[in-house]
Amino acid sequence: MTFRSLALSNMKGNWRSYSAFFLSCVFSVLIFYMYSAFIYHPDVVSGHILQASKIRRGMMFCLYIIGIFSFLFVLYSNSAFLKTRKQEFGLLSLFGMTKAQLRKLVIYESIAIALLSIGAGIGLGMLFSKLFFMALSVFLKVTDPIPFAVPLKAIGITGFGFFILFVAIAILTSLRIGRSELIDLFKAGRKPKGQLIFSPWLVALALVSLGSGYTMALMLDPFNFFYMALLILVTVTIGSYFLFTQFSVLLIRFLQKRHSFFYNRTNMIVLAQLGYKLKDNARILFMVSIMSAVILTASGTFYLLQISSKQQIYDFYPYTVAVMEKGIHSHDVIDLDAMKEQLRAEGFPVTDEKIVTGIAATNIKLTRSNGNDMEYNPATMIISESDYNRLAKDKGKKQLHLKPGTAAMPGSFSPPIERITGSVQGQPIDYAAAAEPSESIMNQTKLNYMTVIMGDADYDRITAGVPEADQLVWYGYELKNWEHAGSALDKLKVSDDFIDQIDRSRPNNYANMKDTSSLTLFIGLFISLLFFIASGSLIYFKMFTELQEDQAQFNALKRIGMTRQEIRKITVTQIAIIFYLPCLIGTIHALFAMKALDGLMGSSVWLYSLVIIGIFVVMQTIYFLLASMSYSKGLNRGTASA
Amino acid sequence: MSVLQTKGIGKIYHSKGNLSYRALEDIDLNIKAGEFVGVMGPSGSGKTTLLNLLATIDRPTSGELEINGVQPAKLSDKKLALFRRRELGFVFQDFNLLDTMTIKENIILPLVLEGVSPRKIEEKLKPLAIMLNIDSILDKRTYEVSGGQKQRAAIARAIIHQPALVLADELTGNLDSKAAKDVMDALKDMNERLGATVLMVTHDPFSASYCERIVFIKDGKLFSEIRRGTNRQAFFQQILDALSVLGGNFDDVPFARA
Repeated sequence: MTFRSLALSNMKGNWRSYSAFFLSCVFSVLIFYMYSAFIYHPDVVSGHILQASKIRRGMMFCLYIIGIFSFLFVLYSNSAFLKTRKQEFGLLSLFGMTKAQLRKLVIYESIAIALLSIGAGIGLGMLFSKLFFMALSVFLKVTDPIPFAVPLKAIGITGFGFFILFVAIAILTSLRIGRSELIDLFKAGRKPKGQLIFSPWLVALALVSLGSGYTMALMLDPFNFFYMALLILVTVTIGSYFLFTQFSVLLIRFLQKRHSFFYNRTNMIVLAQLGYKLKDNARILFMVSIMSAVILTASGTFYLLQISSKQQIYDFYPYTVAVMEKGIHSHDVIDLDAMKEQLRAEGFPVTDEKIVTGIAATNIKLTRSNGNDMEYNPATMIISESDYNRLAKDKGKKQLHLKPGTAAMPGSFSPPIERITGSVQGQPIDYAAAAEPSESIMNQTKLNYMTVIMGDADYDRITAGVPEADQLVWYGYELKNWEHAGSALDKLKVSDDFIDQIDRSRPNNYANMKDTSSLTLFIGLFISLLFFIASGSLIYFKMFTELQEDQAQFNALKRIGMTRQEIRKITVTQIAIIFYLPCLIGTIHALFAMKALDGLMGSSVWLYSLVIIGIFVVMQTIYFLLASMSYSKGLNRGTASA
Repeated sequence: MSVLQTKGIGKIYHSKGNLSYRALEDIDLNIKAGEFVGVMGPSGSGKTTLLNLLATIDRPTSGELEINGVQPAKLSDKKLALFRRRELGFVFQDFNLLDTMTIKENIILPLVLEGVSPRKIEEKLKPLAIMLNIDSILDKRTYEVSGGQKQRAAIARAIIHQPALVLADELTGNLDSKAAKDVMDALKDMNERLGATVLMVTHDPFSASYCERIVFIKDGKLFSEIRRGTNRQAFFQQILDALSVLGGNFDDVPFARA
């Protein structure tokens, strides 16, 4: 028997325990390959697919994340896996295997696993890459399908990278085996379970930090965001950690004291074992709950960003097309009737038309109480209150009621402005700033970067002597299907002199925004998925490392007459708690985070968050069912042979 | 009244390739309520097989087994487990106490599983714990107490639900002689004062000398049977004599199992 055959037969014999490790390796390789296959796809590299070049950087970023993640993940699973085999190593070294030989054995095994999982991962990756490309095409709105391709560079990078990664991890972990004493290796599985203890102070700390973290989250606003956010993060993390390590023990001890509950059939065994399971797994559960919180919050935030950026588009470009002319009837920018006709012919008829007349103001100066005055040189247009109200009503915004002698300027100023002064047609004007807030309702052009709104009487007085040729007139048009009108609008002929007096950039900006945000959403969701799978696998591994120990316990219970159903009930309850507890804590964290975001952004995403949480719970349930099924199988296999 | 009755039970193990091994053959055994019976035999004689059959965790390939009027062979898996839980008590060589629970919780486990009220549980536990002299360690955990104490706790667990039959498997195998004596005294006490019916498998002549009656088996068959007189010392000698007639290897004290 050579070393190699020993390593191989180890794997064959221990397939169940290897399989979880193996599958997670395959999964990492698979994801990594699909991403690199896209990045090194010939059409993407050559720039054939325009949209792809935009996201290549984002995908590269993803690839780095996957790389780092795979490293940590494989490192953890490998060491968890080796821990279950301590006794086996003890036995081998008892028979005279030297440490160097043991290390060699582990490295051989890792290389075998590495080759297998790299092969399987890349193979599956090729199979699924077309599907992945199709999904990406939908996100990127690529019309021609991205053809199937097997870039050699992707295979090279994936294969070589992961091989190095596996070997490096194998060497790292094998060094650790060498360090333990033989007697420790033997005793590894048999260390007595100490008493469950907790510190009342740390329990109090957990509750206080969680409570204060949540309170701060509810009080979060844009002004205290930066220092509060960090503080919230720290307190909630500390709180969750001690919640799992300390508070859980307190809770179990409390339940154990309630005899009517504790001394009720299987409750006793569930609770007695759960205490130790929670304690042994506290760190994992803590990590998973934080991960769940991150997943849920991130998905919610990405969605919120998408919504709020659409709102920003509307705020910034209230109308799809806006034309600004000097002189009431000049029509020197574009022939408006011809434009409407042309747009209608292209399939984008005008659905709404607004005309606002006004007058230009210069040397605008805003006076503030603290002396921090602002002088505006950009072109400013003065409009009347009734015009403002007409447009505001249309957009569902608040009406303005100005007192005589006051004027308003859309936007928020901190500290607020007190007086607006400037000159119109060479005559100075001086108005008190209205306390009422007003919003931007017109697209900006070269002649109206700023807007000042005046009461109708004041407005009439100022404009009284102004000739029509000096007045400004603003036209706003809303189009049907404006989202797709970008290219039609670009075709409108405007002479270079007036190019800045027409604003038609909404559809293009909107398309850009959508591209970036759907990409962000895609990357965000992908990373969430990665986190989710990793967190599930962490629990799964931990469970299987304890399987042997549990088998011994359940064997004992079976011999004294515990039914299969009861054992099943016990294990399923325990697994359910281990799976759903971090999920629950993570959800609570995320809900508070969403509440805080609500306060920050001023828009509600509850429905969406609930959907995300729902999906998360469903996926976690699938994971739980799979885990509990294979766990019961493992348990039965072990107990049947006893 | 007989608690356990076997008629010609046997067990044949089949392995792949049509090789069969006859582990036990034609065993007739009859144990009356309140009896304390030992089973002895050399390594490989079939003691453990017999115990597994009686414990209903293995099924005989021939013959009939009846415990307290019930034929376990006719029960479904679930009913069998419940039967084991209600009618049998077990004491194992390696204790089989759960280390996640206290001594007390281990002892009351059979009652808790049956859904007995906490008040009744306490009522049953107290006198038993005092009788077995483990009342002071009830709140300790398994790793905090000695082997003898663990085994007495295991006896308490085997007896607290008043089973029809207590089966003990090499219960002194992991103990030093002082602890072994304490444990055997305790078991004898249970037998005499509470009238528990005990069947004990052992290779140790000293432990066996506590029995009223010892059945010897060899090569899977009943070999002989001796009964105890009044004097335990004389009985001990009698056992040694019987063993020398029986022959075979008795050095089968296994190491503590992991």
